Amino acid sequence: MSQPLMVSATIPGPSPAMASRWQYLDNVRRHTGPFTDPDMFDTSEAAVAQIEKMKILVIGAGGLGCEILKNLALSGFKQIHVIDMDTIDVSNLNRQFLFRQSDVGKSKAECAAKFVEKRVKGVSITPHNCKIQDKDEDFYMQFTLVICGLDSIEARRWINSTLVDLVDEENQDSLKPLIDGGTEGFKGQSRVIYPTITSCIECQLDMHAPRAAVPLCTLATIPRQPEHCIEWAHIMAWEQEKPFPKLDNDDPEHITWLYKKALARAQEFNIPGVTYSLTQGVVKNIIPAIASTNAIIAASCCNEAFKIATNTNPSLGAQENYMMYSGNDSIYTYTFKHEKKDDCPVCGNLARGLDVDPNLTLQEFIDSLAARPEAQLKKPSIRAQKTLYMQSPESLRLQTAPNLDKKIGDLVSNGDEIGVTDPSLGRVDFKYKLRFTSDFVSKDKLTTNGDAN
Amino acid sequence: MLKIWSMKQKQQQDANADAAAGTRKKKVTAAQLRVQKDLSELALPSTMKTEFPDPDDILNFNLSIEPDEGMYKGGRFHFTFVISQNFPHEAPKVKCTQKIYHPNIDLEGNVCLNILREDWKPVLNLNAIIVGLQFLFLEPNASDPLNKEAAEDLRSNREGFKRNVRSSMGGGTVKNQTFERVLK
Amino acid sequence: MTEVITDPTPPILHGPSDKEKKYDRQLRLWAASGQQALEDAHILLLNSGSGAVGVETLKNLVLPGIGQFTIADAGVVTEADLGVNFFLDEDSLGNSRAECCVKLLQELNPDVKGHWLPLQETLTVQKVLKNDAKYTLIIYTYPIEETDLDFVQEYSIKHKVPVISVHSSGFYSYFRTYLPGNFPIVDTHPDSTATTDLRLLTPWEELSKFSSELTGDIDNLSAHEHGHLPYLVILLHFLEKWKAEHRSLPSTYKEKTAFRSLVTAGARTDNPEGGEENFDEAAAAVLKTISAPTLSSSVKAVFDYEPNELEAKSNFWIIASAVKQFYEKHKQLPLPGSVPDMKAQSTVYVRLQNIYKKKARQDVAEVLSTVRAHPGGKDVDETEVESFCKNAAFIKLIHGSEANPESIKTLTKSEAENDANAEMTMMPLSLLPIYLSLHATSHMSTASSSDILATIDQVYPDASTTPRYVEISQEVARAKGGELHNISALTGGMVAQEVIKIITKQYIPIDNTCIFDGITSRTQVLRI
Repeated sequence: MSQPLMVSATIPGPSPAMASRWQYLDNVRRHTGPFTDPDMFDTSEAAVAQIEKMKILVIGAGGLGCEILKNLALSGFKQIHVIDMDTIDVSNLNRQFLFRQSDVGKSKAECAAKFVEKRVKGVSITPHNCKIQDKDEDFYMQFTLVICGLDSIEARRWINSTLVDLVDEENQDSLKPLIDGGTEGFKGQSRVIYPTITSCIECQLDMHAPRAAVPLCTLATIPRQPEHCIEWAHIMAWEQEKPFPKLDNDDPEHITWLYKKALARAQEFNIPGVTYSLTQGVVKNIIPAIASTNAIIAASCCNEAFKIATNTNPSLGAQENYMMYSGNDSIYTYTFKHEKKDDCPVCGNLARGLDVDPNLTLQEFIDSLAARPEAQLKKPSIRAQKTLYMQSPESLRLQTAPNLDKKIGDLVSNGDEIGVTDPSLGRVDFKYKLRFTSDFVSKDKLTTNGDAN
Repeated sequence: MLKIWSMKQKQQQDANADAAAGTRKKKVTAAQLRVQKDLSELALPSTMKTEFPDPDDILNFNLSIEPDEGMYKGGRFHFTFVISQNFPHEAPKVKCTQKIYHPNIDLEGNVCLNILREDWKPVLNLNAIIVGLQFLFLEPNASDPLNKEAAEDLRSNREGFKRNVRSSMGGGTVKNQTFERVLK
Repeated sequence: MTEVITDPTPPILHGPSDKEKKYDRQLRLWAASGQQALEDAHILLLNSGSGAVGVETLKNLVLPGIGQFTIADAGVVTEADLGVNFFLDEDSLGNSRAECCVKLLQELNPDVKGHWLPLQETLTVQKVLKNDAKYTLIIYTYPIEETDLDFVQEYSIKHKVPVISVHSSGFYSYFRTYLPGNFPIVDTHPDSTATTDLRLLTPWEELSKFSSELTGDIDNLSAHEHGHLPYLVILLHFLEKWKAEHRSLPSTYKEKTAFRSLVTAGARTDNPEGGEENFDEAAAAVLKTISAPTLSSSVKAVFDYEPNELEAKSNFWIIASAVKQFYEKHKQLPLPGSVPDMKAQSTVYVRLQNIYKKKARQDVAEVLSTVRAHPGGKDVDETEVESFCKNAAFIKLIHGSEANPESIKTLTKSEAENDANAEMTMMPLSLLPIYLSLHATSHMSTASSSDILATIDQVYPDASTTPRYVEISQEVARAKGGELHNISALTGGMVAQEVIKIITKQYIPIDNTCIFDGITSRTQVLRI
């Protein structure tokens, strides 16, 4: 066990109490290393203090979120916000270490923020007990960096497209690196995204295998597995019998109802293996989660955040941007560059600015689009927040045709985004951000007022 | 952080794209744009019609099918399409709003069509689903049913099944189940 | 889909217990047996240096409910500790670091017992480890006194206790496991895509009978029956046909593709769908299932291994020897007994499942009788034999580690050769220089780059002149032995995963050193 290979010396005693709290961080913050980028790295007092001024947003205060908050607080970040709409459940306690039994039922964001603020002196953590979709662009604009510890693909896609849309070429601060982590059992991944510059979550959607679905008819007539019986109870029996007004996955009474239904069906078909735990797992689509994997992935995300914020070493992002981790069979990581997709519906298709006279009618505007070299549209359909004009299906064409004679200024506001599709474009489509070239006064101020909504 | 921005600016020069303007406003979502594209590429035959209760919300609409051949000829069948912001990652939710006698549609309106569930892929489009629905009325499939009784009738006695279809479409009763009148 | 071999006795209708609720998300990974093993364990952490990585490891073990843990540490809490260790607060300043960390760790889980041992002149590592067999696993962190290492080693050998050493400094870390003797694992949790043997090439009588019963009149089956033949049965039917025609089974790739065409041609196309799903499934399964099962190298390693006298008395080796006998006699492993999900009518599928289960039970019975005939096999639990037979194709043996100064020279050379070709092979650079640089600072927190290089030169004389070694030694010197919380949290996560794998004897632990580079965000596992 002992090896001959060591610099011979003895261990010094404990450091004197005068040593500063951040001495270990300062070892790398205040000293240049062999891999630091000389153009970027700066050991001055002002540069070191920079991290304390950065606002960083943590999305999710669950298994990853708890770890992320702890890690950021101990990486020198001082202004942290955390957003999560969930409340604490007893099954969180095996990994979400900022919560105790007595916290069950309380807001995750609030509990987590309070705990870390109390433990780490000088850090400020602002909780937001709501959905990410409840916040507007101005909210997201205030942060330098965003770190996600989420379990839903939908939420990831939402924040991704929000941050891509936030990028404004005339405002350097509008570009916010997005760091995302995810785990399942002993496996996980972390990735760094520079919105609009590198491969985004939408470009990487194929990295998430969709949940395998079983044909409805199998559930209805030829079940073979315990999961088939549970899905049958979940999708069909519940709807037929509606034992409670609305299915609540977290209500044990509801799960018990489904479990009994599934069990009876399994017995009818001689299928073994329906248990309460399996029922809960299938209905809630439970993904196994443990503290250690969350620790690995969260720390990987925060390590990248720290490097991006301090330039103490090169980070993932511009080249390699994705780390896959698996601890099932030994330990295996694969760190690679996921390429940006040109046809990505979110970042491959950024809105271009387009000057338009608001006094044009929609028909005139569409005609002008056809003349644009990049478009050359034959049968364009077009929408803003509302549908402006659809070439087909016929019912929509008829419903939207009256818009053709309306003025642009009556249909949308200056700065609104429109989306244009055309069968002749194949997979491509266009988004334009409209810039009005003249003032627009609506004839009918009372009803339209130039606002799309 | 500086370096990321210089990458951005370089990308901007390369692409020579025009700079965007003004204040930030409401965006068109990826799902909306994709549905718009799918809808504008629909090639609906005269037997099918869409209806949009709110034309500004193209993620929710109704589809009616009036088969002009096959056993369900003469009926008018209504479906609702509910499309989430997760489209096309997630398939649209399609349900029949009438109680009908059909081996692949159960009494609650669930539809057994592979591309609505296990075989859905983001490269598929709304047209594929609509073609699939139309096909169900031309060729009801007895081997993988949702309505077991109807399937057994179809398997064992095709003529009897046809009679049941006609009677159910007229609002009649088949095996103690009363169906909704769907004749035009 | 889940594998089911339990009998269909209806479970009692009760919800989960409080403990099952709290541990639900992990019980889905290591089940009640793994949980019990964790709850029976007692981990000792010998803590030192800036002290965060060991405590982060313990956090990840206290949360899932390890039975007990003890921290032995000479440290007194300083300001610098508060900047890197989350399980200390302002009130801890000036107090024993062991005591303070245990108190704050214990808050995480009331089911766990924590103990602290403030190391000092009167309470040395030697005393902690003297005549005390209570620890299940020892973790120590660097830097550590050379003499203390000897006591740990002695304890590990005497009590057959696994040891993990952990070194985290700046953006780098590594950890190394020392397993006492050989470490066999039955419950390796193979990937869900790993194939199970269905014995299609060597069907037993009951399976053949069942298959021909369903396919005897295949051309006259109704559309419904034909479209619901399980793909296993379809394959068995066409294998019979092939055999009758070719007097052999399809074995080459060419024959298998021809066989696949034969299967595909068997589907009926005169239906609205223009094909049959079950025949599609059958065709897709040809290449995967129509091949004689071969022993994986890890199973071969188990069969080839000759356990010493002491090892041979353990249940694992008694069963392994019985399974080996089974294999030599039948030229195949005991049948796992699970059937993948496939399109089929419920009753037919359940019958098929039962045929496989029954055969699997027969195979277990045969292995069990060999086990019982073994002098030490009387007390071997039948469920252990069952579990072994079910997982036989995936069992794995990890060899214990032994220090071997010669091998590190060889390894250093071969890694350097790989690095020379890295650009061409597109492989990432070796992380061995990180291990060597950190290891050079095992007994002291700070060292200059030249000190580190001089030490490495002893095993790799080119180190001082190799830019990568020079850079890495500079990076190690830069950190002055101080931990970065993120790197230690990440490393603590990996170490905790390894502890869980070793204690539960589930999944596959590393063999034997894992190096992490927080600059490029990569790991490398090397046997050192």
